[in-house]
Amino acid sequence: MWSQIRQQLAESTSRFLTRFASLVPGLAALVVALLISIVVGCILAAIVRPLLSSMRFDERLAQWGFPSVAEWSPKQSPTLLVSRAIAILVILTGFLIGIACVDADWTSQLARSVVAYIPNLLGAALVLLVGTVVARFLARSVLIGAVNLNLHYARLLSLGVKWMVVVLTVAMALEHLRIAPGIVKLAFGILFGGIVITLALAVGLGSKDLVTKSLERDAQKASGDNIEEPFRHI
Amino acid sequence: MEVEPIPEQVQVQEKIEQVDSADLVVGVLAELDQVGLAAVCDALGTLPGSPRVVVLRDDRAANPGQSNVEAATPGASSCHLIPWSLLGSATPGMPVAGTSAAYQSVFAASEKFGARACCVIASSLETATPGWVREMAQPLVERNLDLVVPHYARRKFAGLLNSSIISPLMRCLYGKRINNPMGPDLGLSRRLFQKMLGPERGAGVGGSPVHSLASVAPAALCENLQVCEVHLPARSYPPTDWMNISSLLAQILSPIFLDMERNAACWQRMRTSVSVSTIGEPLLVSQDTGTVDISRMMESFQLGVRDLQEIWGLVLPPSTLFELRKLARLPSEQFRMPDELWVRIVYDFALAHRLRTISRDHLLKSMTPLYLAWVSSYAHDVETAGRTALEERLERLSVAYEAGKTYLVSRWRWPDRFNP
Repeated sequence: MWSQIRQQLAESTSRFLTRFASLVPGLAALVVALLISIVVGCILAAIVRPLLSSMRFDERLAQWGFPSVAEWSPKQSPTLLVSRAIAILVILTGFLIGIACVDADWTSQLARSVVAYIPNLLGAALVLLVGTVVARFLARSVLIGAVNLNLHYARLLSLGVKWMVVVLTVAMALEHLRIAPGIVKLAFGILFGGIVITLALAVGLGSKDLVTKSLERDAQKASGDNIEEPFRHI
Repeated sequence: MEVEPIPEQVQVQEKIEQVDSADLVVGVLAELDQVGLAAVCDALGTLPGSPRVVVLRDDRAANPGQSNVEAATPGASSCHLIPWSLLGSATPGMPVAGTSAAYQSVFAASEKFGARACCVIASSLETATPGWVREMAQPLVERNLDLVVPHYARRKFAGLLNSSIISPLMRCLYGKRINNPMGPDLGLSRRLFQKMLGPERGAGVGGSPVHSLASVAPAALCENLQVCEVHLPARSYPPTDWMNISSLLAQILSPIFLDMERNAACWQRMRTSVSVSTIGEPLLVSQDTGTVDISRMMESFQLGVRDLQEIWGLVLPPSTLFELRKLARLPSEQFRMPDELWVRIVYDFALAHRLRTISRDHLLKSMTPLYLAWVSSYAHDVETAGRTALEERLERLSVAYEAGKTYLVSRWRWPDRFNP
């Protein structure tokens, strides 16, 4: 009995050690691949950063209509964001190569699913990009229009429009990424509805004066005693 | 499938075919009734040399709802009244583009009739008889001048966009002191209207459409053509539409800034300005001397300073933004915008328009509170001023535009490097 137990233990230890020994080169390859990718990533980032700086990438990006990229970027610099993104991409690629050395079956499955997910990622990135541009454009239109109409809550209105479009965009992007679609739909409905109600209340309460003034003007016109404005612009 | 022409079109076509050529074509965009048109024809009939005149009437404006072929040829046989489709003059929401299209239509008709000159009548004047059209046309047919622009008798609070930007800017850019470079009543020689119809005018900078109204004076001045002003009575301006003022501002300034881009090589050479020859005597008009209410415009400016910093920050240098913030804190009665500041603002917006720093429509609309701030300041300056003081005030502004031209040229040439 005891000898059988000893034999089983020995066999199991040997199986584990054999398995482990077969994994060691793969793990070593993973570490090497990771180290190489870190070095390559850092070198590429170091090349890209001064290149983008010399092209005045940060300023140009703002001129092209993407100043909000700076807000998300580390140290408010899109150049730094791009160079770091390149480094991370290279390291991630190195990691995937390293993983492939450990277990071919498992990693090929992983690689397949990662590749299959790329269109979703690209779609979501595109939706986010377009959404951000549209949000910014609409927010500016509303802000300028509201200021020119002498509305005191112009900024609130503009922010409301911007966040409505951003929330819609993020929800669409998450839908593309297939991340908790049920929760996203529910959260989007609640958030979007909340913003609309908030804006409706804010504008409704704020525009009381506007409506009163407008009615007063109409009444003045009707009674014919409105004061003639001397200014003729165009 | 062939389309059968409707009888009205056939009659108009027949009427056009009766007039194979003309010496002078007059396009009437203003609202004139049949009697007024006949008076215009009578006045033009007294022009020296009895030129053959074709008057084009936009029927939609003159007799809405009536047939286009009701036009009758008035008594004077040398004057033919022809209904003409002045395309685009009723473009909804784009009155300036529509007016420019109408000008283009008049130029095309003038070319078709082989005219020596053409006039566009777009205003109704306060005290004038239709004879003033003759005053506009005479220098074209008699002295062979190329461009006749009006010099309306000035009311201090009328034509403010012209006084604050258009006239002093064109004077500083193109070196000729023209009071109303954008008319809208204008007279053009064959040479000039052909230039306006030319293929190089077909598409503007970057494919943007060319607006004839804004381009006429710069085209004439850059080509060194002969220009003169005719003194006319005060013009009747439509009341201010406060809901659309920013949109109108954008529609008027955009073609002017586009022309600056197109003519950069020309205006960068000009250093000083000179007067142009004038015809007639300045006409005096009574001026209002009471106080005016500027609270609405001040409120707009203060709101702009509070909420539009993000947009102005992309266009204006920090020193200008700082000065604007200081101005916004002043009480209404002490509010004065220095001419130098206003001039730099106009130049910076022109530059941002060229560089497309932000959407051009946003850019120009965001200028409205600044423009209203200038108007408020100007209203303070001239509310009790007489005619001479008013002219002096506007002359100071024009001089400030000329003094600031080095700033404009520097920023235009080196927008990144030269940013004080």
